[in-house]
Amino acid sequence: MPHRASQAPLAVCGLIAFLSCAAATAVPAGPVVVIAPPRPADVVDLPNLPDSLKFAVIGDNGTGEQPEYETARQLWNFHQKFDFPLVLMVGDNIYGADRPQDFARKFEQPYKPMLDAGIKFYASLGNHDSREQSHYKLYNMEGKYYYSFKAPKEDVRFFALESSYMDSTQLTWVQNELEGSKEDWKIVYFHHPLYSSAQTHGSTVKLRDVLEPMLIRYNVTLVLTGHDHVYERIKPQNGIAYFVEGSSGQLRAGDLRRGSPLTARGFDTDRTFMLCEIKGDQLNFQAISREGTVVDSGIIMRRKPQK
Amino acid sequence: MRYQIASLLAIVTLAFGGDAAAAQKPKSESTRKKPGVNPDAQVIVDFNKRITAYVELHKKLEATLPTLPKEATPQQIDVHERALAKLVQAARADAKPGDLFSPGMQVIVRRILGQVFRGPDGRQIKNSILDESGERAVVKLTINGRYPDEVPISTVPPQVLLSLPKLPEELEYRFVGRHVILLDVHAHTIADFIDNAFP
Repeated sequence: MPHRASQAPLAVCGLIAFLSCAAATAVPAGPVVVIAPPRPADVVDLPNLPDSLKFAVIGDNGTGEQPEYETARQLWNFHQKFDFPLVLMVGDNIYGADRPQDFARKFEQPYKPMLDAGIKFYASLGNHDSREQSHYKLYNMEGKYYYSFKAPKEDVRFFALESSYMDSTQLTWVQNELEGSKEDWKIVYFHHPLYSSAQTHGSTVKLRDVLEPMLIRYNVTLVLTGHDHVYERIKPQNGIAYFVEGSSGQLRAGDLRRGSPLTARGFDTDRTFMLCEIKGDQLNFQAISREGTVVDSGIIMRRKPQK
Repeated sequence: MRYQIASLLAIVTLAFGGDAAAAQKPKSESTRKKPGVNPDAQVIVDFNKRITAYVELHKKLEATLPTLPKEATPQQIDVHERALAKLVQAARADAKPGDLFSPGMQVIVRRILGQVFRGPDGRQIKNSILDESGERAVVKLTINGRYPDEVPISTVPPQVLLSLPKLPEELEYRFVGRHVILLDVHAHTIADFIDNAFP
């Protein structure tokens, strides 16, 4: 059986069907982010409700170097005040070699207190990650390069994508998963940013061409990415909130373009991580530096399907 | 909305207009020379046969190893990866560049890359790939050799993937600097490569 003969029509037909869907439905509009003033102090400026969904976000962390350890320690410090049960990883989980000793030095040791406390890490793969990391039990990927899972609280589904290899199989999966998801909150995370003001990589335009229409069409509220070694909150694009959280181990100091029209808030002078909390239709977030300074915070309201 | 549709139309156009897709694309009467004969289609059929043979071998060899669990330890992952690589290397000891990427297929791949890199944002895409995949790294590619640990795994733009023949999950197209490789994902080895494939 000629391989191409059976595959090409699938890819093309899928895109055409998708095109029809995109054309048929209007997009909810309007800003979704309300900016709260950044706090210069070491505080949890989140509701911290007992029955809310809490989670953390890290990206580009797996260096095995001192800043990764210090950022992880700060994340653990905040966990004492903000009891999140899960951490999303937006890729580049292990830089360089990934022998068993590298898993230990670049992941298991820096995050040991959290792993010991039963906090679950849900990884997506970055361009520095070998595909076989998907089998690593502490990444909870179950051998899949892309997957989705329902959050333990609130009506939330997370979608972890493999953004370095967005072939027709994955695009079809993304479309089917997003379309089939009935959860109120759809949160998508992957490595390459669709929007970024960093000078080193910037926006991944070709990926945006194929992904963004689906994110809009299927009512995704929040997109978390990394790759650029900065923190950036993007001004809402087509009603969707985008973040770059690529500085939980790596850092490219001064890499953000000053005055970029995309930036709602940027921070590129130290490592960071994010804390998020969802209750009902509201998501509160904070971005926190390695030193414990809150460098950004705000509220995102859930996108709702247009009636 | 207009933006989305324009973007999607561009994608579909590229997918249809890609050389690999040309096998399915009817030509106008004025340009048709030999009805039913398309050199690209023949090359792709041949490429797919080579890929199928490779994957059959890969599966046969992997089946001799303990199954890698979905929740594995780093040790299990490493042992499995390297054991499979050894088996592939032994079974393909005589393999050489071009065994999978035939000369005709290399022409097709170069043409598709040229279309993408000459298109809108082409320069940025090219620079991004070269930056990610270690343009400045001194990498000697060898058939069945382990993918170099120090070289990041490059992004392959979706438009390139939609234009090239789709691969089974055991293999991926990737870039190392200006070279295109076929990465054996489970063995983490280079099954074949095209030297300096970038236009």
